[in-house]
Amino acid sequence: MLRCGTAVLRRAASGGGGHGQGQGSSLAQPLEPSLLRFLVCPLSKRPLRYEEATNELINEELGIVYPIIDGIPNMIPEAARTTQKKPPAEGSKESEQ
Amino acid sequence: MNDSMTLGIHRVWKDILVHKMNPSPGTLLLDVAGGTGDIAFRFINYVRSVRERQLQRKLRHHQNLSWQEIAESYQEDKSKSLGDSQVVVCDINKEMLKVGKQRAQHLGYTEGLSWVLGNAEELPFDDDKFDVYTIAFGIRNVTRIDLALQEAYRVLKPGGRFLCLEFSHVSNPLLSSLYDLYSFQVIPVLGEVIAGDWKSYQYLVESIRRFPPQEELKAMIEDAGFLKVDYQNLNSGIVAIHSGFKL
Repeated sequence: MLRCGTAVLRRAASGGGGHGQGQGSSLAQPLEPSLLRFLVCPLSKRPLRYEEATNELINEELGIVYPIIDGIPNMIPEAARTTQKKPPAEGSKESEQ
Repeated sequence: MNDSMTLGIHRVWKDILVHKMNPSPGTLLLDVAGGTGDIAFRFINYVRSVRERQLQRKLRHHQNLSWQEIAESYQEDKSKSLGDSQVVVCDINKEMLKVGKQRAQHLGYTEGLSWVLGNAEELPFDDDKFDVYTIAFGIRNVTRIDLALQEAYRVLKPGGRFLCLEFSHVSNPLLSSLYDLYSFQVIPVLGEVIAGDWKSYQYLVESIRRFPPQEELKAMIEDAGFLKVDYQNLNSGIVAIHSGFKL
């Protein structure tokens, strides 16, 4: 566990590179259903629609989409994509925590 | 690294936090900046043991049970070992969450645990949802602490509790100088030797010094609307637990 911690810190400190993250079928992990009770859009605080096909959470009003990666919903507004454009949208902030 | 810097005492601090919380089964916890799951796992363990004790007490009072009732009680045990308690871990750092999720799998935590990538200043949760909000060693890294406190107030149910575990200020002058010596001479060296990163640990120690002291943080928490705000110093103020209620 200690080694795990230092590896994480080293990655965070060096500003990360996305090497070897996706292990193939990681996108297929579904969202924990109980979470949907609580999750809202962080910007408008309005409820979201869960789209099973693309595994995303959609805010219809503002037209933004939050991805779910490895079963973890990414609710950072900067990382979300708009429904109009094509998504380049990965790269959530790896700021120090 | 946490173990090296604090000689393992950080585990005790986190234990004390959960004991102070004293959650009962059915509690809904939001753990912010708790990426690697330390508080979440302790919460689950605590609730599980409380639940076990509850069930044992119940069984002890029922001496003459029919076979049907005994079978039913075994089924209840399996489905409600947590008693509907749940913890949502929210962190801004994806790597921390991934580590936390892996640890959860290794340690066998399967139910009652969810992970969300989110910003403490802009929580993706609805109003009046959680019984307890904790932030352990995370509020120091938030840019706008007042926003984080306001968000905490928003997502808590009325009657909900805010708990913050964070490095704070040592008032005793002798201890303070010893602590400064340790912080500035030893910790960055440990950081270099173990993690190959002097700068981050230098930053860590400086950020602790810059963080508001106990009374100031208490005032900020009160400004967000919390009542009965209080703090408990651990290790003479090296660490403090601030607590407030949404009433």
